[in-house]
Amino acid sequence: MKKTPLNQRHLALNARMVDYAGWEMPVQYEGITEEVIAVREKVGMFDVSHMGEVLVCGEGSGEFLNWLLSRDVTGKQKDQITYAILCYEDGGTVDDLLVYEMDENCYMLVVNAANKDKDVLHINDSLTSYREKYPDREGDVQVIDDSAYYGQIAVQGPESLSVMLDLADKLGLDAEQKEQLQGLKRYRQIQVEKPGFERKMIISRTGYTGENGYEIYLPAELTAEVWDLFYDYGVKPVGLGARDSLRLEAGMPLYGHEMSEDITPLEGDMGFFVDFSREFQGGEKMKEKSTRKRIALVSEGRAIPRDGYPVYLNDAEVGVVSSGSFSPTLGKGIAFALVNLDFPDDTDMVVEVKVRKKFEPFKVIKAPFVKK
Amino acid sequence: MTTVKEDLRYAKTHEWVKVEGNVAWIGITDFAQDQLGDLVYAEAEPVGEEVEIDDLIGSVESVKMASDLFSPISGKIVESNESIEDEPEQINEDAFGTWFVKIEMSDPSQLDDLMDAAAYEKFCEEESA
Repeated sequence: MKKTPLNQRHLALNARMVDYAGWEMPVQYEGITEEVIAVREKVGMFDVSHMGEVLVCGEGSGEFLNWLLSRDVTGKQKDQITYAILCYEDGGTVDDLLVYEMDENCYMLVVNAANKDKDVLHINDSLTSYREKYPDREGDVQVIDDSAYYGQIAVQGPESLSVMLDLADKLGLDAEQKEQLQGLKRYRQIQVEKPGFERKMIISRTGYTGENGYEIYLPAELTAEVWDLFYDYGVKPVGLGARDSLRLEAGMPLYGHEMSEDITPLEGDMGFFVDFSREFQGGEKMKEKSTRKRIALVSEGRAIPRDGYPVYLNDAEVGVVSSGSFSPTLGKGIAFALVNLDFPDDTDMVVEVKVRKKFEPFKVIKAPFVKK
Repeated sequence: MTTVKEDLRYAKTHEWVKVEGNVAWIGITDFAQDQLGDLVYAEAEPVGEEVEIDDLIGSVESVKMASDLFSPISGKIVESNESIEDEPEQINEDAFGTWFVKIEMSDPSQLDDLMDAAAYEKFCEEESA
């Protein structure tokens, strides 16, 4: 199994380690419930070094990415981060990702660990089709897997900014960068040179918890010492188990559940991040391939929905749970489900989910489950 | 570290059995509760049900996992612990003190097929290795 630069830290903390996409990762330290509560009420930190960093650089890279992804990455401010979806020609989903502008004609795509190798192959194949499709476009685009050189720590929770500011000097921010951090808007980044390292530290106001938070990309060798800074400050380590609960509570989709080769971004309720006003790979066939939609369900009783449980409306099976869990914040079972397109758009209606042998009532709500 | 209790019998599916006369008290082991994590749901099958070995006698769920309890013994459920529905966390706190069902055994010789504490401890070590 692959190990992140923080592996020894997790073992020393007696975390329960699991194989996640080929990585030995902490699923929990002390308990999922208290880790979720730490992030909702104070602050917690996650090792997300397993995420992939793929560089798409060279002349014409912005134009290529605009065609490759569900939204344009160009024509924005330099510090702006773009969340976009990478699609197959048929409209299915390859991955969802964040795009950071690193330099003129150079972009970093942050991708899911489980998809990284597949993404790199897909992007290279797409580059070939792009060249054939637009022979007149100039360019020298290179795709580079830079993942091995980065570690990543996510600091999330209502107290995350104050912690970041308290540690700003130790993180190596100068006065100007500290001021930038103080006013950093959502989906914006600050890049900080690290003397002696080719890669920069990137502080990004992004996250996967629904709370305010920051994701810090670091040269791999610096990851453990930055983790120790936060740990010594008192920031609680949070595992992947709580991370999944937090993202579900916050109404955020997960690749493999609400998006996949067979689930289009439209079916996964990601239409907001798909710009059909321009041509992009997968855009032409996506609507035709979309036959389902994503809904959000909250348990009316004690039942806890799980992935794969069937959903019924008026005794007819209408779909299936794509992500189901107990919500530590709400104290109830919550789920996303993919249902037929003709499923009514009304919320507050009640459906049934078959939990083991019983049909249990669930209310249809508008995500997120936990509102901030 | 999780514990085992000397005077109980154990099933491979991590149920413990305590024998009182002809009645078997059944719960989940400390190892099982630790593997599952904070329990948020628990349910035992109702009184009166006749069960065979491996039949469903209860369910537990943590935030991330759902798991069933299978009967290590044949017989009739004579008591079902409803308090676990309201307070599943008591299983995390005291797994060996929290029973799910009591079964009047139809064939107590089936107990011989279960593990003793030493064998179960070894079994758990192998499972977590």
